[in-house]
Amino acid sequence: MATITASRLHIVARIAAGTVGSYAFTWGFIALGIGLLFAAGMPFHDAEALGYILGFIVLLVAFLWAFCAASLVRVWLVLAGGGALMAGAASLVQKALL
Amino acid sequence: MFPNFRLSMAWLHTWFGLVLGFVLMVVFFFGSLSVFDREIDRWAIPQSRFEPQPMPSFDRILLPVFKDMKPTPEAIEQARSRVDGPMAETFPVQRWGAYTTHRDPVLGLFSGHELPHAKNKDDSVFGTRTIDPRTGAALPDDHLKIGSQFFYPLHYSLHLEWKNLGYWIVGFAALAMMVALVSGVVMHRKIFRELFTFRPKKHTQRSALDLHNLTGVVALPFHFIFALSGLVIFGGIYFPVTHTQLEPLYELHEKHEAQETGLPHEKAGVPATLASVDAMVAEAQRRWAAKGMAGDVGFLAVQHVGDANAYVSVYRAGTDRVTLTGEGIHFKGSTGELIREDPPVTVVAGINNFLTGLHLQHFRHWLLRWLYVLGGLSGCVCIATGFLFFVEKRKRQHAKQAVSGARWVDAFAVTTVTGMLIATFSMLIGNRLLPTDLPARGTMEQYLFWGAWVLACAHAIWRTAPMGEARMSPAWAEQCWTAAALAVAAVLLNWVTTGDHLLRTIGSGYWPVAGVDLALLAAAALAVVAARRLRRRALGPSVQAKAARSPEVANA
Repeated sequence: MATITASRLHIVARIAAGTVGSYAFTWGFIALGIGLLFAAGMPFHDAEALGYILGFIVLLVAFLWAFCAASLVRVWLVLAGGGALMAGAASLVQKALL
Repeated sequence: MFPNFRLSMAWLHTWFGLVLGFVLMVVFFFGSLSVFDREIDRWAIPQSRFEPQPMPSFDRILLPVFKDMKPTPEAIEQARSRVDGPMAETFPVQRWGAYTTHRDPVLGLFSGHELPHAKNKDDSVFGTRTIDPRTGAALPDDHLKIGSQFFYPLHYSLHLEWKNLGYWIVGFAALAMMVALVSGVVMHRKIFRELFTFRPKKHTQRSALDLHNLTGVVALPFHFIFALSGLVIFGGIYFPVTHTQLEPLYELHEKHEAQETGLPHEKAGVPATLASVDAMVAEAQRRWAAKGMAGDVGFLAVQHVGDANAYVSVYRAGTDRVTLTGEGIHFKGSTGELIREDPPVTVVAGINNFLTGLHLQHFRHWLLRWLYVLGGLSGCVCIATGFLFFVEKRKRQHAKQAVSGARWVDAFAVTTVTGMLIATFSMLIGNRLLPTDLPARGTMEQYLFWGAWVLACAHAIWRTAPMGEARMSPAWAEQCWTAAALAVAAVLLNWVTTGDHLLRTIGSGYWPVAGVDLALLAAAALAVVAARRLRRRALGPSVQAKAARSPEVANA
C-alpha cells in the first residue's frame, strides 16, 4: 500500500471534495444538459435520460479526478464552482423557456 | 495527495472498495437471487405453486376485485403526517393497475386513491392485492413474497426506507463499484494475462488476488453496466433535478404532453361508466400482432377511474427482447375508442430502455438468466476475494503490532460471505416452520433474517481471536458448516410441509421449486467442500499449500 503522504485532515478534505464536490458538479451538468437539450427540441424524457446516463459517467470522472488532481483548491473551484455555474445557467435556460 | 496517479488509484481501490464492498456484497448477492425472485416466491408460498397465467379477463375477473380494493392500513398509517386534521374514512379511487410477467402464476394488483385533506393536493394512498388470476380469489396479505418483496428490494434499498437512506447507500456503493473497476484496471494493466491466471495452489494471498483479478476482469463489462444502469434507473432519486430546480420546466412539459398525446392529465369531474376493457385488450393485441410482436399483456392500467376522462392503457410484456418495452395502446374508458398508440421510441429512449431492460430482465430466456446469476455471483467472488487479500496482506503485521484492523475486516468478511447465506437460509426455514395462519407471518420471517445475520456477525467477531496470532478465524469453517446444514434443512422442510420433494418437482417439471431446492443443495455442497478445505489448511502447513481458497465460492 502506498505510504500516506497526506495528513488525516487532507484525506477528509479530499473525500469531501470527491463526494460533495463531484455531486454538485454533476447536478449542474444534468440540470444544464436537460435545459439545453430540451431547448434544442429534444423530447423532455429523452433529455432527462441522456442527462442521467452521461451524468453518472461525469460523476465517476469527477470523483476520480478529485483524488488525483494535485491542488485541492483547484478541485473545489472546478467542481463546486463549475457545478454552481452550470446550475445557474440551467435556471436561466428554464426562465427563457417558460 | 499521492506522488502519482497510480498510487491515488490504488488508495481509492483499497479503501472505497473495502468500506463499500460490504454493501456491494449484499447488492450483488441479492441482485443475483432477484433474477429468480418469482421462483423464490413460489417456493415460499406453496398456494402459488401452479403454472404462470396470462392476464385474466378484466371485465369478469379483475373489475369486481378492483371495485373492492381500498388503501392498505399501512398506507393510511403512513399518510397520517401528510394530512391536515383527522384522517378520512373513505378514499375515492383514482387509478387501477395490474402487472404480471411470464413467470407469475399469481397476479399483483394495485389501486391509487385520493388522500382527502392532503397537504400536497396531488398526494395519494395505495392499495395492493395479490389474486389467483384463474378465480379472482385473494391470497393472504401477510404471506411475504420472499423473492420479489424482500430479496429484490433488499438489493437496491437495503430495506432502509427512512428518507430513502438505503437507496443512497446503494447508489454510493454503485459509484464505488465503478471507481473500483476503473482504478483496478489502472493498478494492474496486464488485463489480458489476468483472464487466464489462477494459481489456487500458491499461498492464500496470491490465489485470492488471482481470483479477484480473474472474476473482476472476466465480468468487467457486466459489473460496470450493472452499476451504471442501476444508477440510471434511480437517477430521479439521486439527482431529483426535474422535481426541484427544474420543476417548472417539468410542469410545462407535462401540460404539453397531455395535449400531444390526448391522454387527459386531470379528471373531468363528470362521472362516467367504463366500457368493456376486454374488447380494448383484444384490439391492442390485434395491433401488436399486425406488427409481428408477441401479444402478452404485461401491464394494464385505468386512469381517472369512474370519470368521463378515464382512459385505459394496455402495455405489452417484453418477453421477446432485452430492451424495456411496452408499445402502450390507450383507449377512452367510457367508449373504448382508440386515443393513441405509443410512437416508435427515439434513439435516446432506445438506449435508455435497453440499459434499463438489461438490468430488469423481462425477457423469456432461461440461459441468459443463468448467465446473469453467474455474473452476479462472480461479482460476489470478486468482492469477497478482495476482502481476503486485504486481510492476508495485513494480518501478520497487524498481529505483530497488536493492531486489530485485519481482525475486524475478517469478521465483517465472514458476516457478509457466510453470514449472509445463514441469514438467507434461516429465513427460508422460518418460512416453512411458522404456522400458516400466524398473523404478520411475513414480518416474523424478516425478523428471522435480520436476527440470524446479527447472530452470524456476533459469532464472527467472537471467534476472531486466533487472528491475533496471524492464524485463520475458525468462524469461516463453522459458518460454512452451519450454512450447509441450514440449506439442507430448508430442502427437507419444503418436502415435509408441502410434499414437494425433488423427485416429484423434477418429475413433473415444476422448475421454479425444483430449481430453488437444487440451488440450496448446490450451496450446501460447496459450503461443505469449503469447510473441509479450511480444516485441512488449519491442520498443517504441508497441506496448506494444497488447499485452495474457497469460502467465497459457497455463495453460489
